[in-house]
Amino acid sequence: MIIVTGASRGLGQAIAERLIEKGEDVFGLARSVSGISLDAIECDVSDYSSVKNASREVKRLKKPVKAFINAAGVASMNMAVTTDEATVQKLIQTNLVGTIYCCQLFAPIMLRQKHGSFINFSTIAVPLALKGESVYAASKAGVESFSRTFAREMADFNVRVNCIAPGPIRTDLLRGITDAQIEKITSQQVIPKQFQKSDVCDLVELLLDEKAASLSGQVLNVGGV
Amino acid sequence: MNIEKAKEIVISAINDALEGNAEITEEMQLIGGKSLLDSMKLVEVCLALEDLADEHGFEFDWTSEAAMSKSRSMFRSVKALAEEFASQSEAK
Repeated sequence: MIIVTGASRGLGQAIAERLIEKGEDVFGLARSVSGISLDAIECDVSDYSSVKNASREVKRLKKPVKAFINAAGVASMNMAVTTDEATVQKLIQTNLVGTIYCCQLFAPIMLRQKHGSFINFSTIAVPLALKGESVYAASKAGVESFSRTFAREMADFNVRVNCIAPGPIRTDLLRGITDAQIEKITSQQVIPKQFQKSDVCDLVELLLDEKAASLSGQVLNVGGV
Repeated sequence: MNIEKAKEIVISAINDALEGNAEITEEMQLIGGKSLLDSMKLVEVCLALEDLADEHGFEFDWTSEAAMSKSRSMFRSVKALAEEFASQSEAK
C-alpha cells in the first residue's frame, strides 16, 4: 500500500491517480474525502491528533506500507513584509510541521517492516531564493533539512527518505500567478521550461522503483538548478 | 496487567535487544548517555512491546506524549517504561 496525503486535489491527486493506474494499492489522506475516488480517510496533517488517528487507522489495516508520500501543502506568494501572521503560521504548520508529524507517526510501520520510502515535497524556490516566496520557501527549506536528517535516522531500518522540489506546476497553489511570472521563474532552471504534474509523477515512480534503492536524503529539483 | 508482570515483559524485551549481554535493573536508563540501548535497539524494544501488547489484547503506543515528554518520558528508566506499559494495558 502507498499512502498519499493531500490526495483530494492538486499534485497529491495526480500522484494517487498515477499510482493507481500503475496497479498500486493507494490509500489517501485528505482534509475532506467527499468525492474522492480512492480509499481514503480524513486527516488534517497540521493537526497532531488527526495524523495520530490516521496512523492508527492505517496500522489496523495490517497491510505493508511501501511508501508514504507527503503531498499535502499550502502556498502563499507574498513578500515577507506583506504576509500576515495567520498565513505564516499556516504555511509552517502545514508544510513543515505537517510533514514532520506524518513522518514521525507513520515511520514505526516502516521501521517494523525494515523497508519503505518517504517522499516529501519541497520547492525549487528554496535553491533559487525566489523573491515573493520567502515564508513558503522557508517552510520547504525546513522540509529539506528535516528529510536529510530523517533519512539518516531511517537508514539503519532500510527506509529511504527523499524530496521532490517542483518548480511552478499548474495546480490550485499557483492561483493568480501570471504566465510571465512563471516564465521568469522557469528561466532560472537548468532546463528553462514549465514542467507538468505528470513530470512530478514520473519522479515519484522513479523514487519508488527498486532501482532507486541507493537514493536517500536527496532533493530532486524538477528542471534542475 | 499488574506492574510486576509489565516489568517482566519489559525486561525480557530489553534483554532480547541486548542479546543477554547486560544485567538489567529497574533504574536502568533507556535514553541518554547512560543508556545501554542505542536508538536502533530502543526502537526494537518498542516494536517488541507492540507485539507483546497485541498478545495481551491492547495497543502499546510508544509515540505518545508520555514517550516524548523529556521530564516524564517513559524511557527514563525500565521501571517507568513498565509503568506506562501496565497503564496502557489498563486503559484498553
